[in-house]
Amino acid sequence: MSTVILVIIAAGFFGFSIFKSKEKTKESLKISKNLLATTFVEIIGVMALVGWVLAIIPPSLIKQWLGNSNEFISILLSATIGTVTIIPAFIAFPLSQTLLKSGASIAAIAAFITTLTMVGFATMPIEFKFFGKKFTLHRLWISFSAAILIALLMGVILG
Amino acid sequence: MKKLKKVIKNNKLIFLSILLYGITFFVSPQVFFKSVEMTKVFLIQMVEIMPPIFIISSLIMVWIPTEVITKTFGNESGFKGKLLSVLIGGFSAGPIYAAFPVAQALFYKGASVANTVIILSSWAVIKIVMFMVESNFLGITFASTRYALTIPIIIIMGYLMERLVSREDILKELNNKKVEYKSVKDVLRELPNMNCGACGYKSCQDFAEGVMRGEVVIDDCAIRKRAKKTSPVLKESHQEE
Repeated sequence: MSTVILVIIAAGFFGFSIFKSKEKTKESLKISKNLLATTFVEIIGVMALVGWVLAIIPPSLIKQWLGNSNEFISILLSATIGTVTIIPAFIAFPLSQTLLKSGASIAAIAAFITTLTMVGFATMPIEFKFFGKKFTLHRLWISFSAAILIALLMGVILG
Repeated sequence: MKKLKKVIKNNKLIFLSILLYGITFFVSPQVFFKSVEMTKVFLIQMVEIMPPIFIISSLIMVWIPTEVITKTFGNESGFKGKLLSVLIGGFSAGPIYAAFPVAQALFYKGASVANTVIILSSWAVIKIVMFMVESNFLGITFASTRYALTIPIIIIMGYLMERLVSREDILKELNNKKVEYKSVKDVLRELPNMNCGACGYKSCQDFAEGVMRGEVVIDDCAIRKRAKKTSPVLKESHQEE
């Protein structure tokens, strides 16, 4: 649904642009083309690698890691798994639900979901291209720590 | 051979995955097809989301005046700018890599480092649709507590990043990627070829020869200089080539 909204915004903005100035629209298309050229291959590469990793790691193994009985270890493990993988939401949420039901701690699940979306180790090469190494690396460690903090607080509040 | 090496070096990831997929195909076809299936899901999402994202980012570059972005998202924008950044992220679509082009466009146009980080993070984490899915599976208490904690923490992350990474740090890294041209032809391809003479050479051909001899750098071209001012993205991608 949000994709449709995005397409509508892009189309509307683009229509406005053509209406206002053909020159500027041309310039913007040139920029789009450059963005496409510099990032598409990179993104495809990242996706292919993540797809491969997800295929060789069986879900049972992820379950085992996330459901570790030592709470602190399980938080760290879940945060790490969330960091290094990209798992689509329609897999991640049902997976988390079964994990919660089978006894995983709330903090571990919170760590998993937060790092999964916010940190993005796999997309690092793409982020380098847009913001450079210094920004990316700082953002990654800060987000990772923030996710752990969120997880611990969740554990205290709901646990 | 050298050329091939360069192509591989520039596309490390894709070659690495081709290699892995190739090996996997022979070792375990089952895993191979599973990986392809996984990748397909990601790619479909990417193909849907990235074209509109690229168009929006480049239109921001071209149309929205720097002053407007600086005023709304710059260093002086204060707490209101932070909240607005959270909202932008919240109403967006797509995974975090879709946020990079948009956030970069806003950053070039004057958004502060803090707000750039806030836009990126909230784009990734805070989503209305996702919130509904999350409460469906994990309960509304879980989802709302997580969001209530995440939003202030993202804003704090912005302040922290602002102290660690300066605007100049980022710009320097993006502009310092060195380009090497192999021939006059390579240089000419990057020039406007209008033979305006503003650089001091008679023609673009002469100027390109000057670049090859090391007398001038390509950005001494007067027209390029102007184009770069209006669209920093061009600058970056030219150097990538």
